[in-house]
This record gives sequence, structure tokens and C-alpha cells, in this order.
Amino acid sequence: MKDILITGKRQKKELIIFSICFLTAFIINIISIIVYGTQWKELWTYIGYVFSISIFFYVLLAIVRGIIKLILKNFKKEK
Amino acid sequence: MIKKDEQIDQDLRKFIKNLGYIAGGTALLATVPWLQSFTPEKLKEIRNEKTRIALIGTGSRGQYHIHNLLKIPHVEIVALCDNYSPNLKAASELCPKAKTYTDYKKMLESKEIDGVIISTPLNWHSPMVLDSLAADKHTFCEKAMALTMGECKAIYEAYQKTDKVLYFGMQRLFDEKYIKSLQMIHSGVIGDIVGMRCHWFRNNDWRRPVPAPHLERSINWRLYKASSAGLMTELATHQLEVSNWALKRIPDSVVGMGDIVFWKDGREVYDSVSLTYHYKNGVKTTYESLIANKFNGMGEQVLGNKGTMELAKGEYFFEYAKPAAGILQLINQVEQQIFDNIPVAGPSWVPEIATEHETNYVVEGKININSGLSMTGAYKDGSEELIASFCQAAITGEKAKNIVEECYCSTILCLMGNQAMDEQRKIDFPEEYKIPYLNF
Repeated sequence: MKDILITGKRQKKELIIFSICFLTAFIINIISIIVYGTQWKELWTYIGYVFSISIFFYVLLAIVRGIIKLILKNFKKEK
Repeated sequence: MIKKDEQIDQDLRKFIKNLGYIAGGTALLATVPWLQSFTPEKLKEIRNEKTRIALIGTGSRGQYHIHNLLKIPHVEIVALCDNYSPNLKAASELCPKAKTYTDYKKMLESKEIDGVIISTPLNWHSPMVLDSLAADKHTFCEKAMALTMGECKAIYEAYQKTDKVLYFGMQRLFDEKYIKSLQMIHSGVIGDIVGMRCHWFRNNDWRRPVPAPHLERSINWRLYKASSAGLMTELATHQLEVSNWALKRIPDSVVGMGDIVFWKDGREVYDSVSLTYHYKNGVKTTYESLIANKFNGMGEQVLGNKGTMELAKGEYFFEYAKPAAGILQLINQVEQQIFDNIPVAGPSWVPEIATEHETNYVVEGKININSGLSMTGAYKDGSEELIASFCQAAITGEKAKNIVEECYCSTILCLMGNQAMDEQRKIDFPEEYKIPYLNF
């Protein structure tokens, strides 16, 4: 079986992408609290939801990145 | 181990303490002034005294009272009176030391009696209460007050002149869940009262077995107009009293319809009634009672603009649930925009079927809820506390505030309801029967 090697650079890149997803979800939570006039304690009491949404964004982004990568690969092959 | 007498004593103290009573507390007594003769301090004062009680009417309700009286340490049952010997015999077996009578007037002549408890058919309430007060006895009478408005007024006037204690069987005034619910309503928990709905449904013929045909009208007195005002005085009295208590007002008029729908067995009183009582501020109490279907049971709903109080169950519900967290509202909105067919704030034809509401409880822990099916007396419905309060007042001689007035108003309203149904027209509260109590 072939070993999959995740380089340090790649790990750093994925961590940055996930942090951006988490930050986006966190900002969405802040906006919802302001828009719906709910309590500020939801910043930490609903952190689980924020984390789940971050994963959702990360997976969504991974799918988009995969599709883009696939398209680019085919494009390069044709060249 | 606690002795039986001490246990009862402690139960009574617990009742008033559960209501939030603090020694000398005027806060509680201001909202429930009829409890002033029932405080733990006063109970302590009369610890070594006894009141001598006589009962007129020893049927099922009379015997129910005897069972409760036997548990009260400061009571001695000294006399029993009934003109129906099987009931008198059964009651006598419960308290063998009590002297028995068949003529209540003869019994009232006795100097050995401090207080009288009347549990007789409605047509006997007025003469017996008036005779008992005239004989200088503290008097407790079952609800309703009397069979006619004139009799009610005569009792009310006699009460104004006497220095004796007079109680009526309005046990909801002594039921913890009702007292707490009403306190919450008055503190604005459910907002402004915008309507009230009361109902009492049973599925039985309201009859009792009759050993000989000539006893039909005596035993099944509830079914005949000469001795009863039917569902209104037997059931609605309690619920109309609670409606007035909630709104701190008395209705100014009533419309209604009554029929004998199912039990066409020679009875004269309606087995199905539906009425609307109107208060001057526009609020209405709808009242419905049937005795051929028990699906809805018994209940009183006070409807506020912020919530609903179910008095009989000691439950309340808010109109609007506590808002969900901001992020959940956002997710829900996104979901609605993607999947829902009907736009938000859409057409008015969308059916508004009542949704499930989160239940809040008036009294914490286990409370007793009555189905309303018992024809004698329900367990822990305030009856024990009411009778104990009367016995205590029979020793101290302290009149209880509001009880007579509450019973007077609710009985007049019941009789107005019957008049509205009989004459098929709107009936206004008669000026000559208005008393200086609450607002009209």
C-alpha cells in the first residue's frame, strides 16, 4: 500500500484554510446575535454549532478545491 | 413519631406557608384576605380550645365533611341532623357520640352547638342559613348560596347584620394551585386578560339510586327545578367565581342557551348549557357544560395577551416561545428559503392549528389535579382547608373576608345564566342585586 505523505507546508495551508472557515462561522454567529437580538453568551454557548459550521465550510471548500484541481489537471493534460 | 393530630396541624400550617406566608405577613393576606383567620399564629392561639360543630344534611357531601372534621384537632362533632334515616345512621356510625335530630330547628335550639355545617339540597340553603344565624350559630353552607336571587340577597343582608361567622363552600379560594395561579395572573405573568374559557364535562346521568319512588325528588334533588338550578349552581358557581377573581370584576350581562340533549329521563334541569358572560371592559367568559361527554373534562383557562393559565391543572403557557439562539434562527431562515413552499408571513388562509406549547407549572413538585368527575368532593381541592378555616373562625369569631361576597356574586351570575337560557334573551345584572364588592 502506498504511503500518503502530508508535508508540513500542506498541513500549514490546511490549518490556515480551516482557521478562515472557523473565523467566518464565528463572524456569522456575531452577525446573527446582532440581527436577531439574542444574547451575547451565545458566542461561547453555541461554539459547538460554530465548529460544526466551520467543518461544513471546510468540506464544501475541499469539494470546490477538488473540482478546480480536477479541471486544471485536465486542462494541463490537453495542452 | 408525630401524632395524628399534630400531623394535621402541620399540614394546615404547611398549606399557608407554601403560599409564601411570613409571620405577620400582610403581603400574602392583602391578595387572599380570607386566609387571615387561618394563619399559623392564630392556629397556635386556639391550640387548647375546641369548637362544637353540628351538621345539617348527612348525605355524601355531609359525610365527606365529617371525614375531614374528624382529622381536625380543635373540632368536636356534637350533633347530626337529617330527615333521611339511612344517611343519618351512616353519619352516626362515623361519630357515635353526636346527638341525632330529624328537625333542624329543634337542633338549632341547643346551646351546646357553636357552629353549623349545612350540606342540604339548594332550596334548603336559604331557610337553614337564616335560621342558623338567627339562632346565633356560626354557619357554613355548601355552595351555591341559594335557589333564588331574593334568597341570596336576604342571606347577604342577614350577614351584614350578624356578628357570626358565615362561610360558603367555595373551596377554590383555599386551593394552593388556584391561589398561586391567581397571584401570578395579578402580577402580570400572562399580560392583560383578554378572555376566559370555562368548561365542565362529565359523562353520567347525575342520578343516585332511589330505594322507593316517593324519594325520587328528595334524593335526585339536583334534577328538579324546585330544589336545584342544575348545572349552573352545582358546577358553574365555582368557575364563575374564579373568573371574577381573575378579572377582579363582575360581569354586567349574560346570554346563553340550555337544553336537555341526552338525558331525557324526566329531569327538569338542562344537561347541556353554553353561555357567554360579558364584562364591562369587553372581556368575556365562555362557559360550557355537558353531562353526556367527558372528553374535555373540567377546566378554567385565563387567556392573556402574553400567555394562558390553565387553573385546574396549575399550568401556564407563554404565547411566544423563548427565541432560539441567533445562529439557529439564521439556519432556520436559510432552510425555509430553500425548502418551504409558503413564503414567510404568507397568506392568511394558512390554518392556525394550535401548536404544542412548553408547559410551565404553578406549583413545583407533585400537585393534585382533579378531573371534576367526583360528585361528592375531590381529594386535596381546598375543601379540607376551607372547613378547617371555618372551624378555627368558629372559635375566634373572626369573620372571613370576601367568601360571602364571592359566593353571592357567583350564585347571582348562575341564576342570571339560567334566566338567560330560560327566556332566551340577554340578561343584565339586576341593579337591585348589586352589592358594594368589586367592579361591575
